[in-house]
Amino acid sequence: MKATLTPEAEKPRCSSTPCSPIKSTVSGYQILHMDSSYLVGFTTGEELLKAAHKWSGAEAASAEALPSPRAKPIDLGLHRASRVYKTKSRYYQPYDIPAASGRRRRRMPSSGDVCLKSLAMEPSRALHGPLPFCLLKGKRAHSKSLDYLNLDKMSIREPADTEVLQYQLQHLNLRGERMFTRNKT
Amino acid sequence: MSSCTSEEAACNHQDATCTSANKSSAADTICTGSTDCSSNCQGNPNPKPPTAMKVKTGCNSADMGYPVTMEEELLRNPVITPEDVLGLQKITENYLCTPGENIHNIDFTRFRIRDMETGTVLFEISKPPASDRAGDKRDFDPNAGRFVRYQFTPAFLQLRQVGATVEFTVGDLPINNFRMIERHYFRDKLLKSFDFEFGFCIPSSKNTCEHIYEFPPLSEETMREMILHPYETQSDSFYFVDNKLVMHNKADYSYSGGP
Repeated sequence: MKATLTPEAEKPRCSSTPCSPIKSTVSGYQILHMDSSYLVGFTTGEELLKAAHKWSGAEAASAEALPSPRAKPIDLGLHRASRVYKTKSRYYQPYDIPAASGRRRRRMPSSGDVCLKSLAMEPSRALHGPLPFCLLKGKRAHSKSLDYLNLDKMSIREPADTEVLQYQLQHLNLRGERMFTRNKT
Repeated sequence: MSSCTSEEAACNHQDATCTSANKSSAADTICTGSTDCSSNCQGNPNPKPPTAMKVKTGCNSADMGYPVTMEEELLRNPVITPEDVLGLQKITENYLCTPGENIHNIDFTRFRIRDMETGTVLFEISKPPASDRAGDKRDFDPNAGRFVRYQFTPAFLQLRQVGATVEFTVGDLPINNFRMIERHYFRDKLLKSFDFEFGFCIPSSKNTCEHIYEFPPLSEETMREMILHPYETQSDSFYFVDNKLVMHNKADYSYSGGP
């Protein structure tokens, strides 16, 4: 996926890509420079989630309209390992060239082009790539209260880290003893 | 995969509010030579010497003698230390700290990478400080702001040294021993671990520092696999203050030059 750009008015144009603004924003970031010989895209987790929401809605609608020759994962909660599609080496047009005289033009790549290209705003799973696992799970780190004991999440099959548990339980016991002592007095 | 060395460098600390309170040194030391990683700091017009910044490199944790650690164990710990993450053998599935644990309000405001051999700037990005982003609405997962994705071309894998300049602001608390450990993996195989110490940061300051990443030697087969399998190269960036984890960012990478 390319950086999802917010078109801005009256930005200086690059000479090799006259239709493209140089600067763009991605989730509050401003991309100041991108050498397309080495880097062709940058995005954030926020943009990926937005795109995933759009794509899942679009695909759900198209899946209803047309039968799919293969199972397409509508549920984006797929682990990367189970990704269905494969990346192919293909020509990649990073931005949409406005049609001229009713005919869409094709961008001719220029070497060492350092200008940032504006992108077509159409949502596309191919442009974004799969959601990273850390966003799919959407979990947060455990809080640092008593929840860190994770007693409700411990599996019987997992070997208990007895030393850690003993240390933590000791702290609980000490707190209990202090309260008992306070109540006695 | 590569040898580990250490080198000292200087880092420029610029106090946005008071130039006289700068603890940076006047010397512009550039660390070069047979080092895996070094730092290069910009000149400081302030006469006070910049704080010397140690740069350390760590590689495979087994070479450094760190015990192997598991993410599940670390999530049970109230405090996560640098030694804890240096024992991780694969990319974490979860974030090991919450965004709220960044009590020092460290905020990265600019980032730039360049090829050290040619000086070519590859990428530069900035964002306004958090105080100016009051209108930001976090409708999505709060972790979404801690993840970025890069789409490189295959040519990027041919680079040897990349300099990464990072600018960041800090809040009202002084920061002792600010340190970043960044670990890169391809399919759960550790490619390289980078270890940078920023040193001390004065309160309410804006700081700039350049780290130099020396890429590990990669076989043709590994590079081919990395190109053919985008986003299976991933990294964890762990940030510590006083040896306690305060921030955790993640990234993944494509080298196919496309989606």
